[in-house]
Amino acid sequence: MDKSIIRVKNLKKIYNNRIILDVDHLDFQESKIYAIVGPNGSGKTTLLKILNLLEKPDAGQIFFKGQELVNKSRPEVLKIRRKMTLIDQNSFLFHSTVYDNITYGLKVRSVPTKDQRDKVKHALKMVGLSGFEDRRANQLSGGEAKRVVIARGLVIEPEVFFLDEPTASIDQRHQDVVERIIRNISDEIRTTVILTTHDLSQAYRLADEVVSLLEGRIIKKVPENLFKGVIEEKNGVKYFKVFGNIKFTIAIVSDKVGPAYISIDAKDIVLSYEQFQSSARNTFSGKIIKIIEQNHLVKLEVDVGLSLVTTITRESFQKMNLNLGRKVYLTFKASVVEVY
Amino acid sequence: MDFIIEGIQKAFQLIFFLNREIFNIALLSLRVSLTAVGLASLLGVFLGFLMAMKDYWGKRFSLALMNTLLALPTVVIGLIVYSLISRRGPLGVFNLLYTPSAMVIGQFILATPIIIALTHSAVQGIDRRVRDTALTLGATEIQCAWIVIKEARYAILAAIIAAFGRVIAEVGAAMMLGGNIKGSTRVMTTAIALETTKGEFGFAIALGIILLLVAFSINILLHYFQSKMS
Repeated sequence: MDKSIIRVKNLKKIYNNRIILDVDHLDFQESKIYAIVGPNGSGKTTLLKILNLLEKPDAGQIFFKGQELVNKSRPEVLKIRRKMTLIDQNSFLFHSTVYDNITYGLKVRSVPTKDQRDKVKHALKMVGLSGFEDRRANQLSGGEAKRVVIARGLVIEPEVFFLDEPTASIDQRHQDVVERIIRNISDEIRTTVILTTHDLSQAYRLADEVVSLLEGRIIKKVPENLFKGVIEEKNGVKYFKVFGNIKFTIAIVSDKVGPAYISIDAKDIVLSYEQFQSSARNTFSGKIIKIIEQNHLVKLEVDVGLSLVTTITRESFQKMNLNLGRKVYLTFKASVVEVY
Repeated sequence: MDFIIEGIQKAFQLIFFLNREIFNIALLSLRVSLTAVGLASLLGVFLGFLMAMKDYWGKRFSLALMNTLLALPTVVIGLIVYSLISRRGPLGVFNLLYTPSAMVIGQFILATPIIIALTHSAVQGIDRRVRDTALTLGATEIQCAWIVIKEARYAILAAIIAAFGRVIAEVGAAMMLGGNIKGSTRVMTTAIALETTKGEFGFAIALGIILLLVAFSINILLHYFQSKMS
């Protein structure tokens, strides 16, 4: 049976008179992996810090296993806080050995010294760094340091493990390693993992559930092809200009004018070899730059001046005989463009 | 010219044959200064840490004050403490004037602002993430404070050593508060001043060499900790 471990209700965080987080309801179940996705500044990190009880919300309630937390006394909050840990995007190792770093969480919990060594050994094994105990923290590579940071969090056997952008700023090889470690955490010690990422494909690879955050609010659909830009009106028709790529305009239907986000569902984009006559007002040509298999669907990333993702069935993928670098056309109606 | 050469010869003789008086003076110097710096460290590290970590009303003012006190002339400290502990002063009943305790008080006042100011900048230089990381790993406020001090340990030790270097070489307060009484409050600096005016160059130079050696050792230590920091 699914059991709720963390639940939030009507959570609000205000900073400089601006609402940066406004979450009506969010529920995390035990021993699942969650990915919170969203562009920079969407409130992902703030949400994690509030869930980890490091920051206080300005309104709303947080429940840990049914227990309301926001108005609890400090010792009680500390008790719950010690059942969780958060790994910062810019994680930090103390100027000391790997061993001293990993035992820190045990020391503050007064775990007997004799138990510490075994626990450290086990944690290092889980991140694939057995025998690293006596290394100095400042002599590790970026990827190794990240894994030590994860081991330092694992060693306290948290019930909830928060990771803020765990693979940002490390190289590709270590990204794969870190993803594997995250999967193991969930499989082996049944810890609930809540991570943030701006990489949608990573979110889908890792998570049981993906939560999408945009300007502090949860949006139901996880937006694919999410772009930030500005809506302009020309001859009574609305166009969306993508930030950082001013020449790229997308025809949309909306009442809004000015800065906005748009998303286009990958399933709504039609892929073809030739340009075809239709009522759809958006047609772009480009080359296929990525092909990802997803069960009975195939996800294609096409570079049309910016990268657009479209999904097609496996059957049409095989029938159309598509491959990398192939020039294709993407077509979608102005009305399928979601405006936020 | 001869008196200088004779003085140096005499000095080495005195040191080489472990002259009792010289070593008693040197030991008293160390005892007074170590006690003063030890006490000043307890207060100074604590206050310096608080000033770096907490926001409070008058923070900028107190920082400016500490930095001003760094340049406090030792004779002014001597004057202030003298007026407090002399027989007619408010603390006169304790009969502290012309005792080693009086010198400890003077040197304590001299050392504390140095330790506060340097600890403050040491702690302020520590990465904010130290505290954040400790919190995410379940530390209490006090445990967080301890790890921050631990991360700043070399810089704080350097602060304490710098303060020690200042007080051991100080002469004004020691003279005014200790009175340079032979066998009781005569320390290296006051002895050098007296012996020089008496024309006992050998004795003065011997003490000068020891004082320089102490200063040299302090600097070696300071460099060691500073290299540890980077």
